[in-house]
Amino acid sequence: MKRLVLVRREQPLRGGQPLSFLIGLLVALLAGILLLVASGHNPIEIYERLFNSSVGSSNAWAKTLNRAVPLGLAGLAVAVAGSMGLWNIGAEGQILAGAMMAAWMAQIFDTLSSPILIPIMLIASILGGALLASGPGIARAQIGVNEIITTLMLNEVALRLLQWLIHGPWKDPESRGFPLAPLLADEARLPKLFGRAHWGVIIAFLVIALFGFVVSRTAWGYELKVAGSSGATARYAGISLNKKIITVMVLSGGIAGLAGGIELSGTSDRIVEGVSGGYGFAGIIVAALALMRPSGVAAVALIFGAVQVGGLSIQTLGVSSSVSTILQALILFGAIGAGVFNRYSLKSVKREKKGGST
Amino acid sequence: MNEASMIGMLSTTVSFGALLYLACIGELISEKAGVLNLGVEGMMALGAVTGFLVALNTENPWLALLVAMIVTAAFALIHGVFSVVLGAEQVVSGLSLTFLGLGLSAFFGKSAVGNPPGAILANVDWGPLSDIPWAGPILFQQSPMVYFALLVGLLTSFLLTRTSIGLALRGAGESASTVDTAGHSVVKIRLAAVATGGALAGAAGSYLTLSLTTSWQDGATAGRGWIAVALVIFGAWKPGRAAIGALLFGGLLALKTRLQTFGVDFSPILLSMIPYLLTIGVLLAISIRARHRPSASPAEIGQVYRREER
Repeated sequence: MKRLVLVRREQPLRGGQPLSFLIGLLVALLAGILLLVASGHNPIEIYERLFNSSVGSSNAWAKTLNRAVPLGLAGLAVAVAGSMGLWNIGAEGQILAGAMMAAWMAQIFDTLSSPILIPIMLIASILGGALLASGPGIARAQIGVNEIITTLMLNEVALRLLQWLIHGPWKDPESRGFPLAPLLADEARLPKLFGRAHWGVIIAFLVIALFGFVVSRTAWGYELKVAGSSGATARYAGISLNKKIITVMVLSGGIAGLAGGIELSGTSDRIVEGVSGGYGFAGIIVAALALMRPSGVAAVALIFGAVQVGGLSIQTLGVSSSVSTILQALILFGAIGAGVFNRYSLKSVKREKKGGST
Repeated sequence: MNEASMIGMLSTTVSFGALLYLACIGELISEKAGVLNLGVEGMMALGAVTGFLVALNTENPWLALLVAMIVTAAFALIHGVFSVVLGAEQVVSGLSLTFLGLGLSAFFGKSAVGNPPGAILANVDWGPLSDIPWAGPILFQQSPMVYFALLVGLLTSFLLTRTSIGLALRGAGESASTVDTAGHSVVKIRLAAVATGGALAGAAGSYLTLSLTTSWQDGATAGRGWIAVALVIFGAWKPGRAAIGALLFGGLLALKTRLQTFGVDFSPILLSMIPYLLTIGVLLAISIRARHRPSASPAEIGQVYRREER
């Protein structure tokens, strides 16, 4: 009798990951067709709308780019931590922390003009995210506390803090009892690049490019990867692991915080609970699909941005916007499934008689 | 605060506690076998909507519960196959499962929003026991799921500590190669644990829609899946301690809507932060103690087991 086993390749396939990603995308779109047909929709009409509304016009591109900004920055935040083998599951909360800090600055410095106020807001947002991530970083470095759980828990804490601010101290007296923060002043809003696309697109691109350079082209980035692959090797090489862990978590949180600041200043009218929009969690999927590489993050974020924008647009056709959530998860599962073959090849071997070990 | 509102609050504490406990025990079993599953929130949502839809169509709450558990067990196996068999990162695969579960439940639940329930799991009547003052309404007028949760907890505790199945399960999470050498299949044990975890998260979800809210809406699980994940850590991976934690967290959920009635001037929103902060505190304590003695956390959680790389 024969059976199939996975055999590890000596070298991962070159260019395998982009290919896996495309396969994942294809799998997701096919599964989406099944889902739509099964629920009585016309998949062609819906996919056409999805495509047109996300990349079919300059207006559509503007929306997609705006979405890609928080996705890309959150993805980068996860990837920076991930390149050292750390998991920052807290980007969602760090985005909120960044947005809260930015909103706070906009309230305090309400007399400043845009060119001064916006940099202050963005720097504050970086600090907010960094602050929230520093706790898990220090705890991991000093006493070995699992950063997955601490960052995850802090998401919920940050969300409650924001809810409390909106229901209490920040509640707009003119909101007639609704728990709403006051509208952002015009000075606190990021200027537009073209159409609805705001300057956050450029900022995010630069930040991703900067980290792409730092991680792959500098000694610091190299140390990061060494520390990630083997703590022991890193110690022999004289790399201070604890310091690296804290630095990386703070940077990661800062990047996610910046996403919050940009999102608030670029696309929101006021600070709301939904300002983080699940970008922090989606960022983890983005980073995973990009294999923790900044260059890949930008590409994946753009495609996820398009899927999200498209998903919202098909609501008018009577389809639940949850289709986009489903598609995003399916892209990942499809890509992981395909990605297995980057590292392993399928071989058929003779099944041994009882008692033998394979 | 009068007697009736106090009883109401304690009774809600027990029902919310049982809900969290069911999902928590599922996650605990999975983690004990070495698989962190961050898909609880999604599994719970899928269980909630499946139970509700089946009840709507069959008017049989027990069938609804059963189908929901089977569906979520199969759903959890997506995470199982990807992380255990294909070696994907558990964190990523689990979170994607949450995405997928929330997406699917919103998609299929869309038609059921606003519908009255087809059937509900009615509270058990324990005869004279239900009439005892205080204890009656708090302990003996609950949904059958509360007693189910208790049973699951006791059974899990027994299985984990007293049986060879439990030993093999814990072994898969502590030292997979040892279990392999002993002739058990690590992959099968882990898959079974993940599926069990899914079934229990699904049970928790259908408990929500069949007994507690008796309706479906998007986001009905409201982050309770994450609390269940926290609870596993709060309970230091022990079913007994997790039960205490479940009552504590359940109590906080019950108190949240009642602070004003009780005349307490404290923000209910800040109150709902407490479970997460407590969990961080417990995790810190566990980690500090782990410097001197074995950690409570399964040693090989999150690691892929591959024989040839042993």
